[in-house]
Amino acid sequence: MADPANDFIRDYQALAQQSWDAWTRQFQQQPAANPFAPPPAPAAGNDTLERTLAGLKGYFDWMQAAAAGGAAQQPTADWRQQLQQMFGGANQPFAQAFGGIDSAGAEGFARQWQSWLQATQHSGFGDLPGTHGPTPAFGLNREQQMQQQALATALLESMQASARYQELIQRANTQGMQRLQDKLAQHAEPGRQIDSLKGLYDLWVDASEEAYAEIALSDEFREVYGEMVNTQMRVRQLQQQQTEQLCQQLGVPTRGEVSSLGERLQALRREFRASRAGAPADRADEIMALRRELTALKRQISSGAAATPAAKKATPAKPPTSAVKKSVSKAPAKVARTAVASKTKLVAASKSRPSPRKRK
Amino acid sequence: MYTPLRIDPTKALGDIATFQRKLAAGMGHLRSMREPEYANTPRELVYSEDKLKVWHFTGHGKTTAKTPLLIVYALVNTVWMTDLQADRSMVRNLLEQGEDVYLIDWGYPDGADRWLTLDDYINGYLDRCVDAVRARHELDAINLLGICQGGAFSLCYTALHADKVKNLITMVTPVDFHTPDNMLSSWCRNMDVDLFVDTMGNIPAGLMNYVYLTLKPVRLNQQKYIGMVDILDNPTELENFLRMERWIFDSPDQAGEAFRQFIKDFYQGNKLVKGTLEIGGRPVDLGMITQPVLNIFAEQDHLVPPDASRALGKHVGTTDYTQLAFKGGHIGIYVSGRAQREVPPAIHQWLRQRG
Repeated sequence: MADPANDFIRDYQALAQQSWDAWTRQFQQQPAANPFAPPPAPAAGNDTLERTLAGLKGYFDWMQAAAAGGAAQQPTADWRQQLQQMFGGANQPFAQAFGGIDSAGAEGFARQWQSWLQATQHSGFGDLPGTHGPTPAFGLNREQQMQQQALATALLESMQASARYQELIQRANTQGMQRLQDKLAQHAEPGRQIDSLKGLYDLWVDASEEAYAEIALSDEFREVYGEMVNTQMRVRQLQQQQTEQLCQQLGVPTRGEVSSLGERLQALRREFRASRAGAPADRADEIMALRRELTALKRQISSGAAATPAAKKATPAKPPTSAVKKSVSKAPAKVARTAVASKTKLVAASKSRPSPRKRK
Repeated sequence: MYTPLRIDPTKALGDIATFQRKLAAGMGHLRSMREPEYANTPRELVYSEDKLKVWHFTGHGKTTAKTPLLIVYALVNTVWMTDLQADRSMVRNLLEQGEDVYLIDWGYPDGADRWLTLDDYINGYLDRCVDAVRARHELDAINLLGICQGGAFSLCYTALHADKVKNLITMVTPVDFHTPDNMLSSWCRNMDVDLFVDTMGNIPAGLMNYVYLTLKPVRLNQQKYIGMVDILDNPTELENFLRMERWIFDSPDQAGEAFRQFIKDFYQGNKLVKGTLEIGGRPVDLGMITQPVLNIFAEQDHLVPPDASRALGKHVGTTDYTQLAFKGGHIGIYVSGRAQREVPPAIHQWLRQRG
């Protein structure tokens, strides 16, 4: 027998989904084609829009699923089970939120590897040599074979590192749910109960971010993050090497050559400036050494003078404004050094400076 | 026994309907919105070199300060955070206090800037900017205000060119890069930065933004935009939101060599506080900074933890050191209402006390 309430929710969800899709389409609508218009902006230009829509869509989907699942139950039901229904399975806004930031700006590394892999296979290489373990290479194309093997190995290592990273993200997600339950348990009193999806969502965000921050600051995350970045860079480096070789064969200037020219040019600019300034580096070093000596002497004099009663030296703190009073605090080390015993929160000048040195 | 969840299904469906209604109604606003402008406080160009520009803000008020203040911003993001919108402009508020404000706009590096080093930035560009301002005012020394990475640059610069800086102000500036709550530092500690820069060249802004988003992935990638739905029907708030989005994502690439050195020496080596840092072959000793120092940091800063900034007090050589802890975050310290009320007046007062 049909459940009218659930049917209603399903119908509503379908309608809501249609509305969402229509809204998204309208918002993304491109102006009519104009043959004189400049080329469309690169994908990165729509970064904010993509991210905004992805974030809103994740929230919208979650609200729908939560309304149809956990929220539709009677309040007397087991709330932990209710929570699982609202956040379980595919209803994980965290995963969507995190996945959504793999934008064009972030270069979409995974997509790039796949494209590279496909392009290599389509060009007749078949399976990349090395994906099934390194094999000895020989003959005229030995170097190319070795490079392909190195790339395949790097790709595998990179994917393994990414998988480890994703495991940690998933762990943050799981621990976030646990934290959410802990937080909710503190709301089981009349007047403190969560009575809206938005309220529940905000609490979940707090819990998820706390769990994520704890993991993201861990030594394990540091190690995995470093490995992920390094392996990705290794893949990119090998891709660039192959591209450079191809360009060289085709007579196309390469990025490496341009970069090399840039390095030389910058070195020349430095030399030119230095020679124009007429101040050789050893003179600068000499000046710096003299300055250090002067500072050391000043410190000696200062510490000698500090032996005199502090009260005579210290300038009383000028009464600060209320705003400053609230937020200015002392630096303990300096207080000790200058023997200023003021209880105000503003650390006042303890040593006057000479007036500005005018040239004229 | 009560349950913590008391969500009425009908109300839940109503919430979804409301969400959609707001989206639909807001669509018109969004599509009609133009790119929000920054505050664009009146300014004049006083120096330029390569992609760099030094702006002098003219404003409307009368300058009472005898010594000009040069703002040294970070290489990441654009300098317009300091002049975001008319009622949230640190620059404008400093002008109203009577300060004479200059600002270094580093520009957008491209392939030609790939080999710029920290030496080029600090002993080159920054030094020539300082010289340009000094020359305009016929002064031996000016005031510096360094922001975030620009604060670290200002510290290095002051240690190396002490006679050109009268007073130094640092804002949300990392000094000790190895505090346990520094997520960015933790993430890049195991990075092979040589491989990274050799492969990437300049570091794309999009990649930098991606990393910043992953510091708080759900909050910055989803919750923020859900909050936006509530202001879609408010053109003013929506414009403010979109302006901030523009600032966040319209950011420059990072010159490869400078990035390599900054990550290696500051984030990985923590050389600034260890006293082992060298810029252009010259040692950077924070103990050489003997001019008055005002160190301002944000208590809820997730990019530069407060302890990373507080460390400065232990390392500078000055006997005139002041700390100001602001109740807010890394960005709020420039654009929040509280910041407008507290930060520029505190800076002005501190400078005025020192002539």
